Amino acid sequence: MSKDSQMRAAINQKLIETGERERLKELLRAKLVECGWKDQLKAHCKDVIKEKGLEHVTVEDLVTEVTPKGRALVPDSVKKELLHRIRAFLAQHATL
Amino acid sequence: MSPAGCPHVNGFKVDNWKQNLRVIYQCFVWTRKRKAKSCICHMCGAHLNRLHSCLSCVFFACFAKKHIHEHAKSKRHNLAIDLLYGGIYCFMCQDYIYDKDMEQIAKEEQRKAWKMQGMTPACCHSPCCVRVCVPGTGEKYSTWEPTKRELELLRHNPKRRRITSNCTIGLRGLINLGNTCFMNCIVQALTHTPLLRDFFLSDRHKCEMQSNSCLVCEMSQLFQEFYSGHRSPHIPFRLLHLVWTHARHLAGYEQQDAHEFLIAALDVLHRHCKDDNGKKANNPNHCNCIIDQIFTGGLQSDVTCQVCHGVSTTIDPFWDISLDLPGSSTPFWPLSPGGDGSALNGESHATGATTLTDCLRRFTRPEHLGSSAKIKCSGCHSYQESTKQLTMKKLPIVACFHVKRFEHSAKLRRKITTYVSFPLELDMTPFMASSKESRMNGQYQQAVDPFNNDNKYSLFAVVNHQGTLESGHYTTFIRQHKDQWFKCDDAIITKASIQDVLDSEGYLLFYHKQFLEYE
Repeated sequence: MSKDSQMRAAINQKLIETGERERLKELLRAKLVECGWKDQLKAHCKDVIKEKGLEHVTVEDLVTEVTPKGRALVPDSVKKELLHRIRAFLAQHATL
Repeated sequence: MSPAGCPHVNGFKVDNWKQNLRVIYQCFVWTRKRKAKSCICHMCGAHLNRLHSCLSCVFFACFAKKHIHEHAKSKRHNLAIDLLYGGIYCFMCQDYIYDKDMEQIAKEEQRKAWKMQGMTPACCHSPCCVRVCVPGTGEKYSTWEPTKRELELLRHNPKRRRITSNCTIGLRGLINLGNTCFMNCIVQALTHTPLLRDFFLSDRHKCEMQSNSCLVCEMSQLFQEFYSGHRSPHIPFRLLHLVWTHARHLAGYEQQDAHEFLIAALDVLHRHCKDDNGKKANNPNHCNCIIDQIFTGGLQSDVTCQVCHGVSTTIDPFWDISLDLPGSSTPFWPLSPGGDGSALNGESHATGATTLTDCLRRFTRPEHLGSSAKIKCSGCHSYQESTKQLTMKKLPIVACFHVKRFEHSAKLRRKITTYVSFPLELDMTPFMASSKESRMNGQYQQAVDPFNNDNKYSLFAVVNHQGTLESGHYTTFIRQHKDQWFKCDDAIITKASIQDVLDSEGYLLFYHKQFLEYE
């Protein structure tokens, strides 16, 4: 593993152990509901299903179609807040 | 996924398959601890990438990199389970399958896990249930499922109405029955209060009153009329009659005050509502009716003795905040320049116009009660001079600001037409009791947390009065969608610009909390 991915794995491990990853996930979930992202994507999924037909569409189809839009639609404020939280966490656990 | 289901799952359903599946859900899906250590891809060691577990043997592999697909092909193990969401994937059907028996097991194990983790699934009262986990409180809400009766109703009424981003559903004029614009303007504001609309449109009122004079039932009817899609103006004669019956002081064909009507209407609605516990809403302290849930806030009054500095605190419920204006006979206190509140709410004093924030700062300033109004201090055991300060203890979901434009003092009766500038978005943080406490503890420069959304409000209705005290007319601006406003002038509804709304005089300002939390 490269040094980068080693570090990534170490940070991830720390996040999981301390329960911070769970908390960040819940925070992200709440923010994405609040800003209407979840509703937007739900509507998009419905459109894809209508297009492909309910009998033929697979979960993979939805994932492929919806993922790029999902990533693009995340508001900057949400990204900012999550980054802020992660930075604060890393500052606390500086031994990494 | 074809509705016939997956035929390959039968090969799995042999021997002790139910128990084995339960163990997998318990230990690897609905758990938090083991995930950190043992749940990694057996081929590449990755944690994430949609980890799946083979159902036929002990093998974890990631989905995104197709490692689990390789395993399935080489070992002919057709089924795998998604460790994050618990879905079962069939490699022959090439999709997630929805087997009733397996779903049943998944649900049961999930509930068991929630119980162990201190979370109890509860059904949320709001009609817009969502699968939400409120962190820290240990509550998880299950998604709304229609009941048999509801499914029946949906089948018998196949017509559906689609809400688009510019539809005009909910907009309807009201005929003026003789100086009844004071009632019409409030009705427009109430029918466009989102939470109140949701409550009535989902039939939440179960009437206990025997007679036909329940105002809540009439409101329910009114909402049905407004959201029926009819575009002709509605004639609210039944509502008017009920108001006259229950609020005698408003009866008659004279022009009345819209603010008085609002308070009277909320009072009657509150009295006629049944609270959630089935008790009549007679006890003002324990009512849980929809009116209290939406409109009731808590106003904290702190009286500080000037001698011993002891503070006596009371908290009173309120439905509206009445704000004094400069130009009234009560002096508008000189305010310190800059100060908190105005910077936060993006207002400038360049034009010299009074802002809503100015009025709120005046409302929450410490007021010296003169020597003629001494309070008995429990610390000093005697009458002393004191200062009194009002702050917000608990903010309501809908905050109504009443600009006191009508002066009825002994000397004069007049209308104050001073323009008050009000914002589209309002942050109430500087006026909270908690903010005052921080200031008193010496934290003058409070770091305003940009991520705290609890006290943020959006404007959704403005009631205006044109004319004089003797003869005037009320109209309302209401927000139909974000940045889409309409002017309601009795029977006439017209599109309005945001600038029209913000330039108007402003008599009653209705703000709605931007972010709602479950209790």
